[in-house]
Amino acid sequence: MKEFELEPGEHVVKEARKHWFIFLLQLLPFAILALLPLALPRLLEMFNQPLWSTVNWGGDGVIRLLLATWWLFIWTAAWLTFTRYFLNLWVVTNFRIVDIHQKGFFRREVSSLLLNRVQDITVDTEGILVSLLDIGDINVQSAGAVDRFSMRGIPHPAQMRDIILKYVSTKPSGDTLGA
Amino acid sequence: MPDQPLVPFQNPLETLSHLGITVPAGSTLTVLLAFVFAVWLIYTLVATYHWLKYSHASLLAFPAIFVHLAVSVALMSYALTGNFIPSV
Repeated sequence: MKEFELEPGEHVVKEARKHWFIFLLQLLPFAILALLPLALPRLLEMFNQPLWSTVNWGGDGVIRLLLATWWLFIWTAAWLTFTRYFLNLWVVTNFRIVDIHQKGFFRREVSSLLLNRVQDITVDTEGILVSLLDIGDINVQSAGAVDRFSMRGIPHPAQMRDIILKYVSTKPSGDTLGA
Repeated sequence: MPDQPLVPFQNPLETLSHLGITVPAGSTLTVLLAFVFAVWLIYTLVATYHWLKYSHASLLAFPAIFVHLAVSVALMSYALTGNFIPSV
């Protein structure tokens, strides 16, 4: 990986992104905005606005141009959202947890938490749908300068906690990697 | 009651001409299209750079970029010709 170098004896145990359902929720505003020009004439027709009901969205050249331009903007914005979703990643290795956070374009933060500094791990799941889809947050309490390390909206949080705990329990104490 | 038939959708440029502002329609559309294309191109290049730069995204980078370009070309084709598939 370019984001961080694996130490001798270190291997990646698990990688996790936010749950796909959270990504779908992020796409919802774009879907609504994309459908808005098609739904607007019908909505206005319901309120007796005959001018809008006669708009031919597909036939008129200027209208079609504006509509396609609107869709192009929305598509590009949705794709950028997908890009940011995909570039955000949590990596659990047998030595540490790495949080690769794409805050924006050209704004990237890669932080690591050594497993031998982990003191406590809590899993937080709230809501019916979130529980059904098995989405949750993991908060890792550490003894280091960064006292809390959070993974939000990840799939199967309990499974992830168990994996981390498994490697925490096998790690000898020490401040350096591979110690 | 108005004695003129209602215009279903008036071109915004015609509305401006009622206000004494004359804008040549062709050049306005050209500028608009150039602006839209420039914005699209900048964001596409920036996102593509990020996809290709970070190796953990490499498996999906090329399919993601291809889908983005394909959909964008289809929308541009629809804007200009009315067809989603550009004719060669």
